[in-house]
Amino acid sequence: MKTKISLLLMLFFSFNVFAQQMEVNGVVTSANDGMPLLGVSIVVKGTTKGTSTDFDGKYSITVNSGDQLEFTYLGFKPVIMTVTDQNVINVSMEEDSESLSEVVVIGYGTQKKADLTGAISTVKAEDIEKTPNSNVMQSLQGKVAGVQIVSSGEPGGSPTVRVRGVNSFLAGNNPLYVVDGMFYDNIDFLDSSQIETISVLKDASSISIFGQRGVNGVIIIETKNGKIEQKPVFTYSGYTGYQNAQNVVKMANAEQFTTMAFESGSVADIQFIENAIQRFGRSRVNPNIPDVNTDWYKEILRVAPITNHSIGVSGGSTNTVYGVNASYFSQDGILDMKNDYERFNIQSNLEIKLSDRLKIGTNAIFSNATRYSPETGAWFQAYFAVPILPVFDLANTEATPIPFSDATVLGYRGSQNPFPVMTFNDNQVKLKRVLASMFVEFSIIPEKLKFKTTYSHDYSTASERNVRLPYFISENSQRERSSIRRAEFSSSNQIWDNTLTFNQGFGDHNLTVLAGSSYRDEQFNTFAATGNDVQGIALESSWYLNFADPTTFTNQVNEIGDRFYSLAFFGRVEYSFMDKYLLNATVRHEGDGRFPSRIWETTPSVGLGWVISNEDFMEDNGIFNFLKLRASWGQLANGSLGGSSGTRTVSQVVTDIGDVPTNGILTTNTFQDLKREILEEINFGISSRLFDNRLSLEVDYYIRDTKNLVLPREVPITAEVVFDNIGEMRNQGLEIAANWNQTVNDNWSFSVGANIATLNNKVTQINSEQGFFDTGSAEFRQRLIVGEPVNAFFGWEIEGVYQNDAQVSADPTAQYELSENNNQLVPGDFIYKDQNNDGRIDAEDRVVLGSYLPTLTYGGNISISYKQFDLGIAFSGQTGNDILNRKRGEVIFTNDTNIDAEFAINRWRGEGTSNSFPSSEGRRKAWNQKMSSFFVEDGSYFRVQNIQLAYTIPAGKSIPEIKLTCTAERPITLFSYNGFNPEVANGVDRQTYPVPAIYTFGVNIKI
Amino acid sequence: MKNSIQVTKKLALLLACCMVIFSCTEKLEENDGQLAADDLDFTISEDMVLPLVGAYAAVYSRGWEDPLLIGVRGDDVNAGGLGDQQPFADTDLFNYDNGYWMYNQIWENFYGDIVRIISSGETIQSYKDFATGEYIDRADQYIAECKVLSGFTHFQMSRLWGDIFIIASSDISTELDNGVKTKAEVMQYISDLMDEAIPFLPDARPNEREDVPAGVTKYTAMAIKALANLELENYQEVANVTGEIIGSNKFSLYPDFYQLFKKPGERSNENLFELQFSDYNTASGATNDHLYAPFGPSNWTPVVEGASGGWGFYEPSLKFIKFMLDRGETTRLRTSVNFTPRGIAEIMMDPAYATLPSLVSNVTPDGDIFNDYPRAMFGSGKHYLPSIQLTPGRTRYGSSKNFIVIRYAEILLMYAEALTQGASGSSMTADQAVNMVRGRVGMTSLSGVITDDVMDEKFAELAMEWGVRYFDMIRLNKYDELSYEGRTFTAEDELLPYPQNQLDLLPLGNN
Repeated sequence: MKTKISLLLMLFFSFNVFAQQMEVNGVVTSANDGMPLLGVSIVVKGTTKGTSTDFDGKYSITVNSGDQLEFTYLGFKPVIMTVTDQNVINVSMEEDSESLSEVVVIGYGTQKKADLTGAISTVKAEDIEKTPNSNVMQSLQGKVAGVQIVSSGEPGGSPTVRVRGVNSFLAGNNPLYVVDGMFYDNIDFLDSSQIETISVLKDASSISIFGQRGVNGVIIIETKNGKIEQKPVFTYSGYTGYQNAQNVVKMANAEQFTTMAFESGSVADIQFIENAIQRFGRSRVNPNIPDVNTDWYKEILRVAPITNHSIGVSGGSTNTVYGVNASYFSQDGILDMKNDYERFNIQSNLEIKLSDRLKIGTNAIFSNATRYSPETGAWFQAYFAVPILPVFDLANTEATPIPFSDATVLGYRGSQNPFPVMTFNDNQVKLKRVLASMFVEFSIIPEKLKFKTTYSHDYSTASERNVRLPYFISENSQRERSSIRRAEFSSSNQIWDNTLTFNQGFGDHNLTVLAGSSYRDEQFNTFAATGNDVQGIALESSWYLNFADPTTFTNQVNEIGDRFYSLAFFGRVEYSFMDKYLLNATVRHEGDGRFPSRIWETTPSVGLGWVISNEDFMEDNGIFNFLKLRASWGQLANGSLGGSSGTRTVSQVVTDIGDVPTNGILTTNTFQDLKREILEEINFGISSRLFDNRLSLEVDYYIRDTKNLVLPREVPITAEVVFDNIGEMRNQGLEIAANWNQTVNDNWSFSVGANIATLNNKVTQINSEQGFFDTGSAEFRQRLIVGEPVNAFFGWEIEGVYQNDAQVSADPTAQYELSENNNQLVPGDFIYKDQNNDGRIDAEDRVVLGSYLPTLTYGGNISISYKQFDLGIAFSGQTGNDILNRKRGEVIFTNDTNIDAEFAINRWRGEGTSNSFPSSEGRRKAWNQKMSSFFVEDGSYFRVQNIQLAYTIPAGKSIPEIKLTCTAERPITLFSYNGFNPEVANGVDRQTYPVPAIYTFGVNIKI
Repeated sequence: MKNSIQVTKKLALLLACCMVIFSCTEKLEENDGQLAADDLDFTISEDMVLPLVGAYAAVYSRGWEDPLLIGVRGDDVNAGGLGDQQPFADTDLFNYDNGYWMYNQIWENFYGDIVRIISSGETIQSYKDFATGEYIDRADQYIAECKVLSGFTHFQMSRLWGDIFIIASSDISTELDNGVKTKAEVMQYISDLMDEAIPFLPDARPNEREDVPAGVTKYTAMAIKALANLELENYQEVANVTGEIIGSNKFSLYPDFYQLFKKPGERSNENLFELQFSDYNTASGATNDHLYAPFGPSNWTPVVEGASGGWGFYEPSLKFIKFMLDRGETTRLRTSVNFTPRGIAEIMMDPAYATLPSLVSNVTPDGDIFNDYPRAMFGSGKHYLPSIQLTPGRTRYGSSKNFIVIRYAEILLMYAEALTQGASGSSMTADQAVNMVRGRVGMTSLSGVITDDVMDEKFAELAMEWGVRYFDMIRLNKYDELSYEGRTFTAEDELLPYPQNQLDLLPLGNN
């Protein structure tokens, strides 16, 4: 049987051999600029035979007369030429950013962009590479409508990513990242240069095939690979530059601080200033203030370098494609301590066609990073440290090894100086991550029925080493004994996917059916131990637990672990009729061990599309080249909740009984029978291309409801928090993305893009006795109220500041305070709005003060090309969000520390001086420290996100293509918020790592 | 046809794959990495001590703010910490803000402990269900101990807020549905709870216990019962219970009043209940310590170099110091107050105190020097541990020092007061009880004591300890005593307002 088939095949091929064979050659150029194109794939249609172009765009191939040659090149419209009798076929290819045949990566497959019915945005590699950052997601800021990115300034830090608002309270907002088939919460290990495409799946119908992890959106990332019949292409890209803190908060200087202290009326504070004068001398300019004026932020900040190098090669032959890439990234933090991040990555992709039916492939990513974590508390300390304290205090002769100053010497409660922790703490984390995956794809019925099995395993480790060096600054700021904490975190996650795909066209009908299963196993383990009294602590070579005193390990060793499994079955139908009427339907049935009472959950979704532009009546309409209406509905179940949410648990405690450390147990009785959150979404969309394909316009409107919203409920009395299905929440919004591309002439071309997204987040139901749900801390209340945004800031509204005694005595609320609460208000105190007009200010007068979620996010870009020059400018921004300036609010815990200059300058200090800031004395009173609109500030900003100027030296006979770039990332940010940075992920600004501006110079070489 | 067989083979392979997957479904019911309460092996009866130790750990782990807020309103002590924690200073002046974090924190601290204690008691009950022989008795004793700890925590809560929820089981929602109980109901509940516990508790001094040294005994329960009945002004019951403690002849006053509050006084024959803390006499490694820093001076010169000071809160009042000087007190004044030079100058500004006895010095009996600091003029001596008593290597203020809660002197004085209030006692006379206390510190004997004498004695003996003074004064409506140094106390100032956070969370009206 086998031999017969072979014989038949041989006959078939030999028949071909006898056909008229000829050699065809030619040059492929870009229609845009006439430049030769390197690496264009040329395949004889219907066969695997092919080649690709060289440096000069030249190719040559042996074909038969009548064959069709298919020329494809990324970013260009494909060209098909039929071989007649000519030996030279020159092809001019047109650029095509939005081609009809463009294929989009979706869950467990791909789909033609024209056939999509959900809301999926794609981002191109070249847009990602413009952003100098360790994390790929940072480059999406302002680029995708409906995706909010909140930057992180920390080296190696990950931005906060929100797709279409906040969909779950507890599960966080992290979207699911699917990297070459593997699930991740975080992709900080990936290098931008490794990435081929990013697809952002926004609506439930697109996400639903990924099931319970996808509730916050899914971001599919494919890494770089070669192409069939592509000659090897070597690329190098690299940049180097520096980061500089932006918009540094101005703190009160020594003079302002002293004035504030004198005005406060606090005898102790005035004494502290006297103490500072005695210790550090008097200022010669103003003899009433100490001769010290420390700008703590300036002291702890530095200019920090950032560098990236990546080198790769990709290509392919008839049966094999490959891509290999290595990259190195390094970034120092702008906090002046051992604070940096360094990462080395290698990645390889290989796909082999073993036969016409069998294809196997493997993919591996290895990432090896070292991070020295900052002492983020330093930002907090620098805000509060008094300016009358120097960094060093040479009079402190007892200090060792460095004579840092200490505010307790002046009388303050805390030592305040951030430098001891910055200097004597060393926090190293070594992160290693291996992702290995392989697949086997078998065509059961060629071109029709295909089976694919994929196994992926991610193994990650984080080795933490926290070293605490001994020091002595004062009795209250010292560390007598050194310590080393070592923690080993490891996670081992595996996924095994099996899919069966059936594809068939029947005349005008086109059908693709997918059925599959996915098995997931995730486990993690953390082992940590701490030892004290390390021998030879001065030398890093002895920073091992072995050199610590072994008797100190007692009660300082712990281990935790968790493992869970999930199993899912899913199916999808994609159907189109006459390329006009589209239907996509998905169902997923998933089991998850974290919900013991209801393991299995089934979620359906459906999408419909109507390509109006393919209707007869739209032919030659002169405006629309493409117009499609989309509608989709889908459900998602959210399974990403903590594993311990359903049991009464036991924990170990140690206490002193008769001077013997004695073990005991504590049980918490907080059982809750949790249901999964169910997210349900309707999405309406328009996809269109207009005016000769120059303008593309995507519009989406969605309404998504989270049902069974899980909230961490404080069980009254117990101080225990349990998870409970308490409410419902709705996110709705409009997303518009428009792009205009135009080639003016051979030299000039430009494109303009803009996107805008609105977000209306509100709580729609709360099932609690009170009808609301409190979050945040008791002192800085946030509340969920029906009809208001989630976690709304909740407190009293300020009407102004009492200016004179007459005003106080005329105000009934002030009189009530005096008579009932014995609280004499004075000029310089806040006037609160008596919302219910009952003549008193009490809990009933609290109102919603704002939300941390922006109601509008936007972004845009302008690209201009002139000959070899490219200039790109991107901007982004948001409005409608508020920030709780908790740094100012911390006054309720300690009130004698420093304050920002804005406050110090604008404080009330006599009639008519301020109607928004209290007096220095008032700042210390509980009356003025209530959670109020004073602490809740507008968080809007507008930012010039990225400016890049590039010059390309075209490839010549002896020189490769070289592109030189100058980039300014986040050079300008405009905002009114009184802090470093309006990007505060949860809106509560206690301490955030400032986000620096980055300036780089880069080189890309392509051989 | 052949083709379809091929396809069938492939499908069979697929099916096999699916079977493998299905065999994994049982994994979905596993819960790795957790210890559920039901997973404990309740048949191992000796483990029943573990939840008891857990309950002690809960009571011992007091927040630094707990003893400060409980005591600050008395006329024996001022807020101190000037320039810091203004609402705490306002509390000392009887101006309360229900949004102040400290009130809410203390509410949560005590109620959180109550729930942990109750849960521990229920876990011990689970052990008891499988226990045999003497383990049944032991379980009963442990459950009774949990009741005593619950009584103590309820007592502190009700003193601060008056009407509170009684939590008797871990079914919190049912307990909350019962609503708040009046202070009298809570105190009666505590008294009854102690009656339930007493028959099962060891007839011993806490320091005689070997299984849980310094754990609670029958006499601790009696002491808490006496305290609850004192709040109820049920003086005969106070006299009965304290009389029984005295009559047991188990307890005696520790001879050295100063050292009673230092390391030598730990687990002495005077202590009926103390919170235990230790660094286990090791220079490093884990400790179970209380944060005494709020009581410490923010500027001092300790004998042991490197010993940390504190934050300068909780300042003994001038009123108390002058009261003690007037009485000719020496030991108790020196033990209760640490003086700074500025504080001494302040006393002497009053012409009546222009000359002071030599014991008024900024050098403590153990040689630590209290320097001037703006936060306060005096430090609390009973919360001070001499630097020479620190375990070498440890520098935290008061590291390893126990915190005495109820001691025999208070029992004697409660007994004396009850008799002067008209109760009859069987153990001794009120004079004898008062004079025992006075005798230890070298004070002359009194005769024919009346209530005011006993209250003065309590002032001198128990100042700065757990708000004893404040709660005595409000019980006896002696608002004039609390209206001192510029303060005005009225009846509505007695209780703290419910924290705003709890008003938002619980079915509470304003108290």
